[in-house]
This record gives sequence, structure tokens and C-alpha cells, in this order.
Amino acid sequence: MSLTAEQWLAHLKALNFTKKFKIMNVCGGHERSITHAGLRGILPPNIELIPGPGCPVCICPEEDIYTAIQWATHENITLVAFGDMLHVPVNVPKNQARSLEQAKAAGADIRPIASPLEAVKIAQSQPLKKTIFFAAGFETTIAPVAAMLVEGVPKNLQVLLSGRLTYPAVQMLLETGQAAFDALIAPGHVAAVMGAEEWTFVAEKHHLPIAVAGFSAESLLAGFYSVARQFQTQHIALDNCYPQVVHKNGNPTAKNQLNQAFKITDANWRGIGMILKSGFSINDDFKEQNARLHFPNYDDQARKRAGEMPTGCDCAKVVLGQLYPNQCKLFGTTCTPRQPIGPCMVSDEGACRIWWSAGLRK
Amino acid sequence: MCLGIPMQIKEINYFKASCEAKGVEREVSLFMLQHEEIKVGDFVMVHVGYAIQKMTEEEAQSAWEVYDELLAMEN
Ligand code: SF4
Repeated sequence: MSLTAEQWLAHLKALNFTKKFKIMNVCGGHERSITHAGLRGILPPNIELIPGPGCPVCICPEEDIYTAIQWATHENITLVAFGDMLHVPVNVPKNQARSLEQAKAAGADIRPIASPLEAVKIAQSQPLKKTIFFAAGFETTIAPVAAMLVEGVPKNLQVLLSGRLTYPAVQMLLETGQAAFDALIAPGHVAAVMGAEEWTFVAEKHHLPIAVAGFSAESLLAGFYSVARQFQTQHIALDNCYPQVVHKNGNPTAKNQLNQAFKITDANWRGIGMILKSGFSINDDFKEQNARLHFPNYDDQARKRAGEMPTGCDCAKVVLGQLYPNQCKLFGTTCTPRQPIGPCMVSDEGACRIWWSAGLRK
Repeated sequence: MCLGIPMQIKEINYFKASCEAKGVEREVSLFMLQHEEIKVGDFVMVHVGYAIQKMTEEEAQSAWEVYDELLAMEN
């Protein structure tokens, strides 16, 4: 029988941790559960929880959003994207659309969707017009996009792919000495698709405690207890606290479809820079569906420079788990969900927005 | 996006299923679960309209509770 949240917490307290111990999560869903369940407030005082790279919208390169805005404005197309992407601001002169939402208000045909299935339906409903699906996301979102392509899409549907893998960001932090955490909670649903195995490098190569967790308070507290115990006993090995949904090798069909449709490439993360083997690009077999090959390229060096985080916004550091959201000077002063300065205040998975919506202030 | 929703399968038509969660029905693709035997009544974890993993009823219940709590607090 599994333990309750209270029992896990009692176990954690019984470890009598005296040292400061910082646990990073890498999933916006985890951060939402942790913040809204108030888990930070009930843990022993020296155990800290810091949000890390768990928000794909936050790190989606500005040049991709800019490209989507330009295509939607200048080409005769319908652009569809997951809802969060519509609100992300980019750096442009005042007379230009700052976000997909503003481009839509100015007349561009831009529609929010919740599933690749909707992109297919929209393309089918207007066979004479091109539909471009701006697909940004981590593995849990990009695997369904691969499935959509492998299953077959209408000729007039193309994809602007901006997919990222989660673990290479953690690997980069560990390998460049920038890691500001003592242990890691691995993302439950990314691991459900890609397999828990993907995360063993944290324990084996870097000798840091790690556990995969689900989204309930029980599963998260089981994860915190597991990494704290690993640290204390120095028996460090990947633990799976979400075995109902996460298997060692993940979902074999999904991984196969990802391999068929996409290859893994080096990729730019907004405000962070290139991370080796952290992105997806569309394989040649699906080149007819690759919008980047059929529409003008706006992804030049000048754009990449313009595409850093806005001045004063610490989103890149927040994403890397180096600062807490409320350590940004703009948090809650000039930057709020109503008037976001950086992407971390836009997305439901952005740490700044999660903290703000849970009532956390300075 | 990464917070999946557990749903119960009501009807299967090749790779398309009609699934239900708390009285709401949605079309869900089973295309990513071709390695599994899936039948009406099973529970699946759904992300952006695609079932990514099978799950037990018990796990589905606990995930729904988390979801309810989150939505209640965010609204
Ligand atoms: S509070 Fe706003 S400005 Fe500051 S890091 Fe977050 S998104 Fe950027």
C-alpha cells in the first residue's frame, strides 16, 4: 500500500536534515502542484525547492515566434498554435505586432488550438488555403506532433517545429558547472514518453540524487524523501516514484514515431543560447510538411540578438533554476500576467506566472 | 501542457477513441499506444489530445483530484 502525503512528510522530517538542500524540478506541472499545494511551506526549513527548465514557451526562441508573426501577417495562411504561444511578447519596433495575439487583432488569421488533431481538422476544412502549425513544446507535446505526421496529414498542413528535449538543459547545467541544485525531480510525463532511463546520467555521471515523480502531493513528497535519503545515505541511484505511468523505457510507439518524423539537432534556447542535441527538426521524409523549407527565413543573426530576454527580465536565470521568480526586480512591479514583460509570466508553466497566480509576492 | 488529463475510454474506432473525464467527452487519438491492448473502460493519460500511456483507475482518480485542486486554486 502506498503512503499518504502526511506519512511521506513524516519520513522526510525524520531524516533530520541539518544541511541546506536544494531540489530542482524541471516541469511546469510539478511547479504548479508544488506551489498550489503549498509544499514549500510544510517542508523542513533547510529543504528548498527551486523551479528549473520546465516551461517550453519560456525558452522558445524569439526568432521562431517572430517568424510565425511574419508568416501570419504577410502570407496567405492560417497559423495555428497552442494558446500560450499567442501571448509571448517579442522585441520589435513599436509600430509592429509584438505578439501573435496582436497580429491576430490586426487581422492575421491566427487560431489557438489545444491539440494537433485540431490543426488537422482546420487544414481539412479549408483545402485551398495553407495551414501552418507552430508547434513549440517539450517531448510530451512534440511526440503527438510526430504521431500526427506519421499518421498522415492533409497536403496543405505544414509545421513550424520548435520542439525541445528537457534532459539536455540539465546536462548542460551539470557539465558547465552552472547547476545550482543538490538533487533533481525528473518530469513525470516526459519520462512516461521517453523512459525513466534517460535520467540515469544525473546519478551515474554526476552523482546527484534523482527521482521521477508524478503530480500528486504524495508522489512529489515521495520524490523529495527519496532524493533526501539518497543524499544522506550516499546510495545514489535513479528512483521512480511514479511507476504507475512511467516505465524504464517509456512509450515505444511514441519513441518510434519521434524517430521517424524528427531528428535531434543542436538548438537555441531563448536567453540561454545553443544547447547541444536539445532540439528536433523534421526529417527529409516529411520535407513537404516542413514549413521552414517553403516560407521565407527570418531566422538571421540580427534577429537572434534582438531575441534575448527583454531588458531587466531574469527569465533565463529563472528557467535555469539560478534565481527564484520573486528575485527578479520586475516581478509584480512592472511584470504581471496582465502585462507580462518576459515569457515566464505568460505561460501557465512559467514559474513567474505560477508564483503570481498562487498569490506569492515579494 | 505537461500536465496530462486522465480519461476513460468509452468507444474505440480504429485509432480514434471517444474518452470521458468528469462528464466531458473528447476525441482522443490512440495512435501512440499501438503497442498496448486497449479496450473500452480502460484509463489513459491524455496530452494534447493523444493518449500517451495506459493507467489504472486508482491512478486516474488521484490525478483528477490534483487537477481539481489546481483549477480551484487558479480560478
Ligand atoms: S517576473 Fe517578468 S520580467 Fe521578471 S523574470 Fe519573470 S517574466 Fe521576466
